[in-house]
Amino acid sequence: MSHSHERPKEQERRGFVRGAQDFAGGIFLLLLAALGLWLMRGLPQGRLSAMGPAMLPDWLSIGVGLCGVALLVNGLLKHGAALERWSLRGPVFIILAILAFAATIRPLSLGGFSLPGLGMIVAGPLAILIGGCATPEARLRELVILSLSLTPFCMLLFGDMLNLPIPVFPQALTGLFPAGWSQKDILRACSAIMAAAALIMFLTGRRRHTTKVDVAIETEQG
Amino acid sequence: MKKLAIALAAGLGLAATGAQAQGAYPQRPITMIVPFAAGGPTDVVARIVGDHMSRTLGQQIVIENVAGAGGTTGITRAAQAQPDGYTIMMGHMGTHGAAPALYPNLKYDPTKDFAPIGLAAGTPIVIVAKKDFPANDLKGFLDYMKANGEKVNMAHAGVGSVSHMTGIFFNSVIKAKPTMVAYRGTGPALNDLMANTVDYMTDQIVNVAPQILGGNIKAFAIATPERSPALPNVPTTKEAGLDGFEVSAWNAAFAPKGTSPEIVAKLNDALVKALDDEGTRKRLLDLGGVIPVKAERTPESLQKLVESEVARWTPVLKAAGATAE
Amino acid sequence: MSDLVSNLSLGFGVALSLQNLGLAFLGCLVGTLIGVLPGVGPIATIAMLLPITFGLDPVGALIMLAGIYYGAQYGGSTTAILVNIPGEATSVVTTLDGHQMARQGRAGVALGIAAIGSFFAGTVATLVIAALGAPLTRLALIFGPAEYFSLMVMGLVFAVVLARGSILKAVAMILVGVLLSTVGTDLETGEERMTFGLPFLSDGIDFAVLAMGIFGIAEILRNLDQTETRDVVRQAIGRLLPNRDDFKQSYASVLRGTVIGSILGILPGNGAVLGPFASYTVEKKLAKDPSRFGRGAIEGVAGPESANNAGAQTSFIPLLTLGIPPNAVMALMVGAMTIHGIVPGPQVMTRNPNLFWGMIASMWVGNLMLLIINLPLIGMWVRLLKVPYRLMFPAILMFCCIGIYSINSLPTDVVFIGLFGLVGYLLITLGFEPAPMLLGFVLGKLMEENLRRALILSRGSLSTFIERPVSAGLLAVAIVLLVLALLPSVRKGRDEVFTE
Repeated sequence: MSHSHERPKEQERRGFVRGAQDFAGGIFLLLLAALGLWLMRGLPQGRLSAMGPAMLPDWLSIGVGLCGVALLVNGLLKHGAALERWSLRGPVFIILAILAFAATIRPLSLGGFSLPGLGMIVAGPLAILIGGCATPEARLRELVILSLSLTPFCMLLFGDMLNLPIPVFPQALTGLFPAGWSQKDILRACSAIMAAAALIMFLTGRRRHTTKVDVAIETEQG
Repeated sequence: MKKLAIALAAGLGLAATGAQAQGAYPQRPITMIVPFAAGGPTDVVARIVGDHMSRTLGQQIVIENVAGAGGTTGITRAAQAQPDGYTIMMGHMGTHGAAPALYPNLKYDPTKDFAPIGLAAGTPIVIVAKKDFPANDLKGFLDYMKANGEKVNMAHAGVGSVSHMTGIFFNSVIKAKPTMVAYRGTGPALNDLMANTVDYMTDQIVNVAPQILGGNIKAFAIATPERSPALPNVPTTKEAGLDGFEVSAWNAAFAPKGTSPEIVAKLNDALVKALDDEGTRKRLLDLGGVIPVKAERTPESLQKLVESEVARWTPVLKAAGATAE
Repeated sequence: MSDLVSNLSLGFGVALSLQNLGLAFLGCLVGTLIGVLPGVGPIATIAMLLPITFGLDPVGALIMLAGIYYGAQYGGSTTAILVNIPGEATSVVTTLDGHQMARQGRAGVALGIAAIGSFFAGTVATLVIAALGAPLTRLALIFGPAEYFSLMVMGLVFAVVLARGSILKAVAMILVGVLLSTVGTDLETGEERMTFGLPFLSDGIDFAVLAMGIFGIAEILRNLDQTETRDVVRQAIGRLLPNRDDFKQSYASVLRGTVIGSILGILPGNGAVLGPFASYTVEKKLAKDPSRFGRGAIEGVAGPESANNAGAQTSFIPLLTLGIPPNAVMALMVGAMTIHGIVPGPQVMTRNPNLFWGMIASMWVGNLMLLIINLPLIGMWVRLLKVPYRLMFPAILMFCCIGIYSINSLPTDVVFIGLFGLVGYLLITLGFEPAPMLLGFVLGKLMEENLRRALILSRGSLSTFIERPVSAGLLAVAIVLLVLALLPSVRKGRDEVFTE
């Protein structure tokens, strides 16, 4: 929805649309109002003494629509701000990162496809690594160090210290550790391994990227 | 599914053996899903009981609050969990009694999709009215209702809440048709009751007892067979001359269907021990709760309770046209 | 008066015991650390941390919880100032000028004035509770559905005033916000509205999800586009604490904010949420140069933050004296109290004077702790801004995901912050401001519910809003404010207003 009605406006700007931003904003509000009215169809408005579920939403949608019309007219009559250019890279990677986190944090089954709950140990780094690519300045090495240091920090903070019921690692992982180990022991061991890996990467890369990697560690303290 | 997990574990640079640790249940912390926000009545019961159960089981019971859609979101999730005893839930009158009538698209069947563990506690329902209400006992109240009908305003804490369901039930028993006023939660409803804005409501004792004792509202009757020690001066519905209105908002522990009987027995044993513990009892009683007697604590009697509750609520709520969809 | 002194000394006797001091400190510290996570506000923080207080005795546990509350509140303001993500409705206002100050290298000053203003407001509010708590509860009973509706209408007018750019766009955003608040199961009839049949929408949209998406994720998306401006924040760090001039400029705002916040906080229908907005509106109207607002005016941080903290404090009044929780945070407190075997209500004061007065005293102690903890931390928070953005935003992203997941344990919430992020990004591109929408969203629910309740009780007669004096008064204020807000734009002509 967002992209479809953006493009034509850019081209039309020289024509009869003077304030492209207002014009597009007006269209957006009209679409929203239409969506609201469409979703509320069939629900009763009721009377004032017993207002139905649809009364307020319907009138709000109409109000939003009227604002949309006003804005649209404004965009046609008055010179105003143009639309800013936007890139796809940011939104795509950020949304992918969020979806990756949502899909891996706990068991997922979507239709025939299913994933076991992988927990924070996978979801956290995925969010950082995928999300980090949203900027062209991304450097893989930095992101790996960041994820290897922030994830154990969160695991210890949420899973160990605060004891929150947030999944931390896949159950299959318990098989890798001696039978006597409790969940907390495994959590701590994993965190230690990850932190150590981060440290090693940080130290080996130090000669080349001294200043840049420094900051990655600083975030960990926050 | 498991293979994928192992592959991913291997991908993390760890040699996977895949063998689950063997040994007696429970080996790791147990998640108890509470289908309401932290701090609510069900959450409080779950935490009080869960605390003692953890000690008996030797593993912590971690409470996970999964709120939404009158508790059905959390129960749906818990019902679909692995039946390995590591995910259990605290259900209540709504999720395992009224939900089938309230939510036509419910994804679970309270009578079939669970392995009941045991009843934890009940909270009696009290009939309360504003301080200025022109009647002083249940009989006078009923007469007033007959005379005034729709002029009377009844408050409730939102569609699907305990006070809403019991309110509908109460109205159907006394054949009253008041004007219903919805609030978001008991707090605001009570506030308007105290301000004499609305006339009466029904709600759990834990919510209304302080206001009754403080003299801000009056109580007509308590919907239990016996008086509550928390409100010794409030008569039971039967004493006050009303038959057929005995309700309590019960809380009970369930496991997903397919959980092995040994595990259920172990959990039931821990629950019973918790209910026998002096400290736990006191905490529940202080809240005005009713602790189930021995015979009511078995999984079998819980199964029967669920069946009878579904049978009781479905016609009442359907007749009132109450759905939450 | 002598009663007050003896009560307070009883309270301080309890609050100043070594154990309780320690707990207050710990609570404030943990509350700050969790509350500072992007988008995680006081409600989420308390819900998360509630279990860690279970092992304590009731007084200690409540003192610690109160500490967590203040800590989370302040932590939320910190995030609002540093990264422009409000953790709760009341810190939406703080983002407006607080984040602008941070962008101008005045993050330390903003954080400092927020802490000091909050401390002052907290001190006053504690005294108000101790001295007037019981009589003030009567105020709670004057406010019925009609009054709350009018109050919310007034609040929505504040949102118009608070907007920076086009008034038309602000009104549109408010309406959209109110519309969004109607998503979910209808309270009166149980009908599902605009849920697309999705079960996780049946309880409506969570504030945290909306705010995190519209502010947090959308902000990241916007910053990714603007490579040239986004690192402004880290280039200039500036002073860490407010100086004499800053105080001179903001002390009056702090005073006014404290008064406004204290009064609104007493209302059990979540009046506290209006405090910061009301304060901001007042400051903007009183300012010699209102155009500074939204561009880093220190009064725009000092006033609302004081109002916020004062309201946060006085909203304990309905809870402690009536046993009625005025908002979600206080509802959690009720839960916490019942878990510890104390059923809040009118009897607490007489039956548990230790607890009652101890808690009131500990409020002040908590505020002091907050100051002690946070002034030194300001340096650290500000230094965080030095982290290059390419590393900062993936970290924010992950914290947002973990934070939102830990509130309800629902992966759909995580997906929704992404969705709202896209919507917020689109809104920014189209020149809409997200703040009025968020205010509309917060007030919308209260407004609709109270409107319908009032009309049910009046059996459909609209005159109920005018016949009741308090309601009529509030509506009159709303109309005057609206006219005042619209006048300049009518006078100046539309061009200027629409192009900002």
